[in-house]
Amino acid sequence: MIRFLLWLLGGVVLGGIIHIIVILTLPALAEQSVWSRVASLEADNAMIILPRVTAGEPNPLGLDPELAYGLCRVDLSDGPAYVSGVLPDAFWSVALFNPSGIVTYSTTNRDGIGQTLELGIFNAAQTRLLAQQQLDIAEGLLVVESASDHLLILVRLAPPHQAMRTRFEQELSEVECGTRG
Amino acid sequence: MRFVFFLLMMITVALGVGFGLSYYALTDGRLFGVAQVGPWHAWPDVGSNAPNPYTRGHLARTAAFELGQSEGLQFSATTDSDGEQLTRDCAYRITGKTPLATFWTLVAVDETGVNIAAPDGQPAMRSSSIARADDGSIVINVGTRLQPGNWLELDGEGPFKLLLTLYDTAVFSGFSSDASMPAIIRGECA
Repeated sequence: MIRFLLWLLGGVVLGGIIHIIVILTLPALAEQSVWSRVASLEADNAMIILPRVTAGEPNPLGLDPELAYGLCRVDLSDGPAYVSGVLPDAFWSVALFNPSGIVTYSTTNRDGIGQTLELGIFNAAQTRLLAQQQLDIAEGLLVVESASDHLLILVRLAPPHQAMRTRFEQELSEVECGTRG
Repeated sequence: MRFVFFLLMMITVALGVGFGLSYYALTDGRLFGVAQVGPWHAWPDVGSNAPNPYTRGHLARTAAFELGQSEGLQFSATTDSDGEQLTRDCAYRITGKTPLATFWTLVAVDETGVNIAAPDGQPAMRSSSIARADDGSIVINVGTRLQPGNWLELDGEGPFKLLLTLYDTAVFSGFSSDASMPAIIRGECA
């Protein structure tokens, strides 16, 4: 009986180890990531509008049908990235995704920046250079340091009513995004 | 002979516990980092820059654009407040108050994440465009059959999931103790 319980305990401990291995390796084994799902979109250094979500259609990116989404892909090894534009007077937010699909930075217009979206994104080396040069950072410019060079920049914009959506998407697509080499 | 039996048993238990626990952690996951308020579930650190390993597993499974921590939080419900599975055979009433947020949206999706609202209706319910009671509380009717008031009209049949997305919310941020979520009450069934 004791021996049986010992074997059972061994099984449970081994199961715990398997569980930990499964959880830790799962992100690496996943065949699709948010990165691969938008790989076919021409979003390199340009702000594109993601297709609207409609009832009955697949929605692999988990988008909200009420919101307009602007997406831009940048590679910081080409130089620091910038996002610059003026958005309509409505709720908007911006998030940076690394290649694992983790949000490394996010903010909203409720943080006191109003309608102006001015974002400078630097990797560690570029941040060090920026600090050494002791430049004056323009007011309203958000400086973000990123650990990874490859980033997806997602801007969510919430038109107060669907009738305004087309105009809002147009204004969102005019936001400039890219790298400065 | 006994050795072989014990060995096989140990392997079976190990595989069952290992993979079973992993599946549970990433689907239901109440013991592993999923916050639960009534029938609503959320992964509170899904938008953080250093999510815990379970949340990372969840992120890998969904592979969707999650909301960053300062942008908001999404709650999902697959059951009503009594724990019964949500099904399009029944009418539901979502009633109560939502946590503090700039605005929120409510959508109904099937198991694959496809929006199941009626094609000629609105795909989502939004906090700014619904009728409310005098005290600000909400009553939203959800179902395939005609209902009064705020009605999120659904299409098709089978189980479904409700997603309540709070934008710019203080819930779970540590700055607000207000985590009152609306109840989902089952009405008439076909």
